[in-house]
Amino acid sequence: MDFVPHDRKTIAEMLRVIGVADIEELFQDIPKDLIKEKLDLPTGLSEPDLFRHMEEISRKNKIYSSSFLGAGCYYHYIPSLVDFVISRSEFYTSYTPYQAEASQGYLQAIYEYQTMISRLTQMDIANASMYDGSTALAEAAIMTTLITNKKSIFMLEGIHPEYIEVVKTYCWGQNISIEITTEDKLLNQLNEDVAALLFQSPNFFGDIEDISKLVKYVREKAPNCLLVQVMTDPTCLGVIKPPGLTDIDIFVAEGQSFGISPSFGGPGLGIFTAKKKYLRKMPGRLVGKTKEINGTREGFILTLQAREQHIRREKASSNICTNQALCSLAALVYLLAMGRTGLKGIATQNFQKAHYLKSKIEKIPGYKILNTKPTYNEFLVNCSSIDSLIYQCKQRNLLPPLKISKYYPQMKNTALVCITEMNSKDSIETFIQAAQAALNNKAEG
Amino acid sequence: MKSNITLIFEKGIDEELQNYIPEIDIEVADLKEIIPQALLRNDIPIPNVPEIEIVRHFVKLSHKNYGVDTGIYPLGSCTMKYNPKIGESVERLPGFSQIHPLQEENQGSIELLYNISKFLGEITGMDWFTLQPAAGAHGELAGLLIMKKYFEHKGIKKEKIVVPDSAHGTNPASAKMAGFSIIELKSNEQGEVPLDHLEYAMQGGDVAGIMLTNPNTLGIFDRHIKEITQIVHNNGGLCYYDGANLNPMLGICRPRDMGFDIVHLNLHKTFATPHGGGGPGSGPIGVINDLSPFLPEPCIISTENGLVCKESTDKSIGRIKSFWGNFGVIVRAYAYILALGAEGLLRVGKIAVLNANYLRILLQQKYKLPYNRICQHEFVISDKNMPNNITTEDIAKRILDYGIYAPTIYFPLIIQGALMIEPTETESKESLDYFVEIMNKIYEEAKENPELLKSAPHNLPVKRLDAVLAARKPVLHD
Repeated sequence: MDFVPHDRKTIAEMLRVIGVADIEELFQDIPKDLIKEKLDLPTGLSEPDLFRHMEEISRKNKIYSSSFLGAGCYYHYIPSLVDFVISRSEFYTSYTPYQAEASQGYLQAIYEYQTMISRLTQMDIANASMYDGSTALAEAAIMTTLITNKKSIFMLEGIHPEYIEVVKTYCWGQNISIEITTEDKLLNQLNEDVAALLFQSPNFFGDIEDISKLVKYVREKAPNCLLVQVMTDPTCLGVIKPPGLTDIDIFVAEGQSFGISPSFGGPGLGIFTAKKKYLRKMPGRLVGKTKEINGTREGFILTLQAREQHIRREKASSNICTNQALCSLAALVYLLAMGRTGLKGIATQNFQKAHYLKSKIEKIPGYKILNTKPTYNEFLVNCSSIDSLIYQCKQRNLLPPLKISKYYPQMKNTALVCITEMNSKDSIETFIQAAQAALNNKAEG
Repeated sequence: MKSNITLIFEKGIDEELQNYIPEIDIEVADLKEIIPQALLRNDIPIPNVPEIEIVRHFVKLSHKNYGVDTGIYPLGSCTMKYNPKIGESVERLPGFSQIHPLQEENQGSIELLYNISKFLGEITGMDWFTLQPAAGAHGELAGLLIMKKYFEHKGIKKEKIVVPDSAHGTNPASAKMAGFSIIELKSNEQGEVPLDHLEYAMQGGDVAGIMLTNPNTLGIFDRHIKEITQIVHNNGGLCYYDGANLNPMLGICRPRDMGFDIVHLNLHKTFATPHGGGGPGSGPIGVINDLSPFLPEPCIISTENGLVCKESTDKSIGRIKSFWGNFGVIVRAYAYILALGAEGLLRVGKIAVLNANYLRILLQQKYKLPYNRICQHEFVISDKNMPNNITTEDIAKRILDYGIYAPTIYFPLIIQGALMIEPTETESKESLDYFVEIMNKIYEEAKENPELLKSAPHNLPVKRLDAVLAARKPVLHD
């Protein structure tokens, strides 16, 4: 099938208007030997045949009854109205709102998203979004080098390993050096040539860092070094102190937890916020409120575009053009649906369920919780056989926790366990059974 | 004075709404026992809004917005074609939408990613594809980093990229992000790359290659494309194809056959995934065999044991995004390719070009076309010679008054007051005729009643907005 609305008669008439004998004549600028004979692709499918094919492929992916896996992508409940709003085709089939007067709906929604994110994070300004958490962090790193004119970035261990890789790739492109360090080593290493310290909290291992201590230390030791915080599950902001109250310069996060389905890891949402003084170095689109030129009504418009690639070309602060607008709309609707009560409730429940699960696991001989700092909905569990634990989880239709040696080969027999409001008491009990069974059946799996 | 705008934040009620929190079914500890008081926040300045208020608010906002489903969306270089609804259905299948990127039982996703990369390979002629980049500009960055890595491994210092002045703004910005400086090449009178200037630029020795869009942003297919890529290759450079304008080439002509080494595609343009108001998109890149070791990770390959992720090597540029790319977008594009098949894709290319030329012929009667020759998917009008000093912005704002969206304006920069028009293959003749009718009417208005244009729009929720004020005193949130 195709989606061309012409019939043969119409095509003939249009060719007559143009003054050519056939469509091929319109390709006369293309050298003859470049014309492709026929693409080696399957024949087109009707919608029912296509749907069947897609369903068949999708069934080769396994859906579990409950999940204990997080590590940068989370299962949270998505209120029905989120999909309803993002399915309005006036939104999802529109382009970037360049023609402001005909795009007031989306522009207001983005302005409300920026407002929502500023309020949630207590940061001065939020942009209209980046691709995802990892690229938001990479762009933040580059932004700090533009602000400080320094070419060295420090990253604290505990940042999502895939994010570290993305930052490395971006920084390599611009000859920015990267140092990965620990809180202890930082004392000796930090110096005046460092553009920024990047850290994650709650970090990849689940620890909530002592941010005020970190900030105080950096401000004393290297006053010009910027602090960049990243978060992979910002639902915790329903309870914990927001970055705007801990003197963070740039805060970024993966916003997938806000009403976006896991979808094999993408699309997600790059949340990007900063202190106001860095506004003009900020990458990405921004929507501002303004007035009519000859009138009194207020309206919304894409603003400060002089930072962007389509105006500044090679002098732009980033090359970003398309972002994740529809995902930011989903996040806005999610956060509104939850409201302050829901956000606090969900975050509280994630804390409580993780606490409950930890206390149950600790009682099983051979299992040990490795975190010494407070944690949110993820934590590290050391066990006698990780493979056996994973096997036993799968046997019980549970999506197993992350085998952390995937990223840290030296961390053997350690699981990164994630639990959210979606995990019922039943699923927690089943997980405990799996953990116990794993002790008895070490050889399996 | 009361504002004409009502933000959703004004709709809160003083009630503890908890509709979306599951009942807690375990014994719970008090939060204060779990985390230190110092880590807690005091308040969240976000209102509790009843569901019906949220729904009505966004339905109202949607009425103040315009999508492809509303009407013609002739934005040049944006390929605003119809987005088939089947794409929305299949992307939401639980076997795709509920899958975790780190779970092991993911054969469906891996198979889909592998299949579409083979399809894209056939469509472009490229040997390898990565689906990691989240957008066109992201693909450009990845492609340029591959060029950088390639030369680094060869031990050759290359610091510049040639970009024609008709290129998309992302090209020079991406080159800069990848650490290159730019040599801008001025287009000749035919809107094509001047071969002698290219030859001269390439002889500098430190030029990594060229970034080119073909057909270019004037809608012109560069007749000397083979000579262009030949010159770059002869001087040790690589050729990068910006696939933003691939739509008219589908089934007709392939970037690889033109001599390109790297190509990025915009699945949200050519392969009909919705633009979403500015994302999420997807910008896969394809490369020739020689460049495959430098592709970002992870890379899926077919082996005796089925589809697997290739071991990482020190040649790869590394990761450019977490997990597997914008998978949900890729699912829709895959479904689109399967729906159309070889014949359908060929028809896309042909009808896109037919529609553009039909509009061009009808609009040239009143408007000035600086490069008036057979075009491919798009063409450009100039506001030069408009009566009463009417500008491109005036025309665009007046178009909005007639209930349709305006073309891309003031781009490409090489044309004074450009209006860049790309109708795509999914617009009917009636829709194109209506656009022409409106454009002709506006031309008459420009002659008879220019004030009407200068103060446009008149029929929208707001009149022309003050962009200068917005930038001078930025108000970015409430």
